[in-house]
Amino acid sequence: MLGSILRTRELVKSFGGVRAVDRVSIDVRQKSLTMLIGPNGSGKTTLINLVTGVYRPDHGKIFFDGTEITGYPPHEVFRLGVARTFQIPQPFRKLTVLENLLVTQPGNPGEGFIKSLRRGRWKKFEQESVEKAFRILRLLNLDHLWDQEAEKLSGGQMKLLEVGKTLMAGAKLLIMDEPIAGVNPALAHEIFETFTRLRDEIGITLFLVEHRLDIALRYTDYVYVMATGSIIAEGGPAEVVYDPKVIEAYLGE
Amino acid sequence: MTIPEVFFIDLLTIVGLFVIISMSLNLEFGYAGVPNFGKLLAVAGGAFFVGAVPGRIMMFILSPGSGLDFVQNNIEAVMLLNQVFASDALASIIYLVFSLVGAAVAGGVLGYVASYPAIRLRGDYLAITLLAMAEILRVIADNWPEFIGGSMGVRIPDPFRWVGGETRALAVAVTILAVVAIVFVYLELVLRSPLGRALRAMRDEELSAEVYGKDVARLRTKTLMVGCAIAAVGGALYSFLTASVSARDFNRVTHTFWPWVMVIVGGAGNNVGALVGAGIFVTLRKFITFYKSYFEPFVPFDVVWLEYLLLGLALIVVLLYRPEGLVPERPTKTLRRKELLEIAERVRSEASSK
Ligand SMILES: Nc1ncnc2c1ncn2[C@@H]1O[C@H](COP(=O)(O)OP(=O)(O)OP(=O)(O)O)[C@@H](O)[C@H]1O
Ligand SMILES: [Mg+2]
Repeated sequence: MLGSILRTRELVKSFGGVRAVDRVSIDVRQKSLTMLIGPNGSGKTTLINLVTGVYRPDHGKIFFDGTEITGYPPHEVFRLGVARTFQIPQPFRKLTVLENLLVTQPGNPGEGFIKSLRRGRWKKFEQESVEKAFRILRLLNLDHLWDQEAEKLSGGQMKLLEVGKTLMAGAKLLIMDEPIAGVNPALAHEIFETFTRLRDEIGITLFLVEHRLDIALRYTDYVYVMATGSIIAEGGPAEVVYDPKVIEAYLGE
Repeated sequence: MTIPEVFFIDLLTIVGLFVIISMSLNLEFGYAGVPNFGKLLAVAGGAFFVGAVPGRIMMFILSPGSGLDFVQNNIEAVMLLNQVFASDALASIIYLVFSLVGAAVAGGVLGYVASYPAIRLRGDYLAITLLAMAEILRVIADNWPEFIGGSMGVRIPDPFRWVGGETRALAVAVTILAVVAIVFVYLELVLRSPLGRALRAMRDEELSAEVYGKDVARLRTKTLMVGCAIAAVGGALYSFLTASVSARDFNRVTHTFWPWVMVIVGGAGNNVGALVGAGIFVTLRKFITFYKSYFEPFVPFDVVWLEYLLLGLALIVVLLYRPEGLVPERPTKTLRRKELLEIAERVRSEASSK
């Protein structure tokens, strides 16, 4: 069995009196599609924000690929190979769809105040990035919109753009907060098929928050269930959905 | 030279100076989203550098035995140096270039200082802090006679003396326009590069930019350093135009507020906008000042206020009817559209042949 790429130990984060994340320890296995589910307000987004450095944990530790990353700022977490999407899409509004993708390509040699002048040094990189970006846009059925400003997209298209950005980032671990919310079922299945292809062919690990279990579960290797800040159950998708604790958490809402 | 010629050269000179300053603000605010309400800091900083440093160094090099202090014996010292510069074009040019480069470095340092609040504060808090920093520099210069002569200011040696006579104004104008051209080309290249795209991304959604690997604090710092260096060169050029430096010549209305108006009216996020904004405003202002006395019988208040009223009105009209400015931001591509379409086509045909 493969080791885990992401580990958290006893993570705690409170907002005022609310313990949004309460002693959460998870192990996301390498090259798996792992899901995090749970009722509204159970702390899923907060956990993602802790892992990606957007929030600092009050307590506990985070490890990625063997290194401790507790307290790392978001851009450093990204550089180690973690890309994420936001539950509410936050595109670069005035940038085109294509540019939104290009921006997230790491290691761009043209991003300095002097380096940007040496066109010869970044042009090739840019052409390759554009090609990669168009492949991703095609996959997400967004290629006809490549020249649109991101703010003009529909809600569903913005979600897809978020997914596209993480694919562009070429990360080892993709963390997505409800990637298919608002996306039609046919396309949603296509996206999940892409996810499994990424996992099987390139060995990318996916850690997803999703409410639409009818679509998502069949692609899933492992599930964590959160309720009121804590992990209440974990296991394979088939066992977890019949776990009485899980049913109670959802029904007890 | 005829009066229209003098008027026109003077106009070009002032437009050029404000284009430099508003382009620097456009880099900071229009591209990177850093609301630099302390534009005065760098502009004055560049001018104060020119008032304080190059003259002293020149005295040390050219007449070390004279016993004259550049600031305390300012008139004599400047006369002495001007005698040298009047007949030595090379020395003049070296002095000019050294002063401009030095001003840029001083501006970069001030930009670094300004970045301390700019990576920690946002919105109004940042604006007020930067505004205050600029005021502090101005007040220090005004009250510290040894620095640049306090409220009296200092005269500075004139690097255009060897040109002489009427053509001096033309030489100053050409120099300023040359700097405008260099800054414009540089900023256009930046805008059409991956860096320009990253800056605009940071402006649009800071947290996303951070999460997608951009070191936002570093980018903001560098942007302010470059922006302030450019603005400082503008301040330095203004000093050479008047051959003097005085803390009283710099204020937040002219050097912070006007550039903001120019960028907003012209259109933030593109350099042509900054150019158009500065051009229109300086021209309007000059005409209003020029024809002020004609309005005297018609307005029931001091005509001095007319300028502010009309320009304020113009700002409101633009904001109401063209909130994106006269020249709105357009996507600036790193590669040509044709090339992008070719790549798109290649990807499409590859996929369908599979
Ligand atoms: N920035 C914040 N400030 C204060 N409270 C917060 C903040 N972020 C989250 N919370 C609180 O923490 C708890 C967990 O919220 P979180 O957004 O992590 O839930 P979630 O599982 O993602 O829910 P959903 O399924 O609705 O997205 C909630 O009670 C929420 O109100
Ligand atoms: Mg959430």
